[in-house]
Amino acid sequence: MLAVSPLRNTKDHEREEEMERFSIGCDDFPEFSTGNFLDCIDFDDLFVGINDGGELLDLEMDTQILDEFSVSGEESEMNSSVSVEKLEDNSRKEEDNKTSGLASSSLTQGDQEIVSKIDESVAVNSSRKEADKCRKSSAQSKNLQGKRKMKVDWTPELHRRFVQAVEQLGVDKAVPSRILELMGIDCLTRHNIASHLQKYRSHRKHLLAREAEATSWSQRRQMYGGATGGSKRYVSPRLAPTMGFPPMTPLHHFRPLHVWGHPSADQSLMHTWPKNLFPLASPPPPAWTPAPHPPPRQAPDHSFWHSHYQSVHNSLAPGTPCFPPPLATMRFPPPAGPGIPPHAMYKVEPGIGVPSGPYPPFDFHPSKESIDAAIGDVITKPCLPFPIGLKPPSVDTVLVELQQQGIPKVPSTRA
Amino acid sequence: MGDSSSSASYIRMVHHLIEECIVFNMSKEECMEALDKHANIIPVITSTVWKELEKENKEFFEAYKKSREEKASEKETRQRIQEMLLDSSRKDTNNDD
Repeated sequence: MLAVSPLRNTKDHEREEEMERFSIGCDDFPEFSTGNFLDCIDFDDLFVGINDGGELLDLEMDTQILDEFSVSGEESEMNSSVSVEKLEDNSRKEEDNKTSGLASSSLTQGDQEIVSKIDESVAVNSSRKEADKCRKSSAQSKNLQGKRKMKVDWTPELHRRFVQAVEQLGVDKAVPSRILELMGIDCLTRHNIASHLQKYRSHRKHLLAREAEATSWSQRRQMYGGATGGSKRYVSPRLAPTMGFPPMTPLHHFRPLHVWGHPSADQSLMHTWPKNLFPLASPPPPAWTPAPHPPPRQAPDHSFWHSHYQSVHNSLAPGTPCFPPPLATMRFPPPAGPGIPPHAMYKVEPGIGVPSGPYPPFDFHPSKESIDAAIGDVITKPCLPFPIGLKPPSVDTVLVELQQQGIPKVPSTRA
Repeated sequence: MGDSSSSASYIRMVHHLIEECIVFNMSKEECMEALDKHANIIPVITSTVWKELEKENKEFFEAYKKSREEKASEKETRQRIQEMLLDSSRKDTNNDD
């Protein structure tokens, strides 16, 4: 059990608490009183100078809050008390040596303190701000009663070192204690690393799964001509993005993707959605010569991704919260992934008229055979999942419309 | 009689087929033609279901439309570039003579 006050279920409640304790903020940021704390806060202002790649921070904090509460209560409590001592030490050091190396400054958000870890280069640039915040935070740490969560500020630099360490050890073998050693940063606790590692791993799985899906879709479309049985076994995208994270809120595992990937706003997610679904735009064929040579690479790639996709999917626990519109968060990073570069390279051949690729053709019509196969499949196997999963229209509406157009009955036999 | 359920399942099938066409990046007209030819579905039915889908999934279809337009313009640009390259290479060889 945590000594700190238990995590409230609702965000609003948290925010209310925050607002009481947020001694620096209340006067300066009147919008807090409305209760839309997280919406109103301008994180850039808060973190100016602390980290230039600011996107990583802000959302991470929420996730880390939830993470630390739910994952290991006691451990985090212990770590917190240890870390708080460090924090106070650091704060004091901070105020003494403004330009010293690793500086920690704390801000509170939520029910706990937030600790920002800053690398030397950044510290030199923004030492004053850090000092300010440190002073504020030490004031706050006195105000707070019992809330001693150490919040790690995963700056891009810090994250980069983390990734380096992990890769050195090997992702699967990477153990938090070793990572900690490799990173050699004092202010990180094993627990910080552990939770960060967990997120990193899930993020990787996610990326791979999505890329697998994207390539497997496009490849499967192509495969309809070849009519392999295996290509029909893909799962509807609705199911794919489920994550096997134990008690996480949807908000939680929506955000890590936001944080870890591109710092784009929600709108861009929507914009990238079609790119993911639709035949990939990146290597457009200059002139696609139909069928006779489906690139030989396609078969092995397809099976690779297929099996990879399957195994990734199986490892995810179904039933956990999905992304809110299920497809909107599927992202297709521009320098795609392992499956894509080979195709991209394939494209860069000199000469005109070289077929570039295994992608479903989009600047000309798909072959009749592939359409026929696709259509035939749908007709004969009605229970197959929909490839896109659009919201279906209301049957009544359709029928009414059809009647207005002179079609009284459906299905109608063709003349 | 299973009229309502058969209508529903028919419409569901048409919906499914339309989604397949979208995966192939087809336009509504292309889809109507394809379903007509390959599945004997009256184009009016296809277009009605398509329109209804569009209403229910506005954002998707807007994005789809944009994506298709982008690809079309990309294609056009590419073709122009290719033509230019061809032209310039022809001129070069002419000059060489």
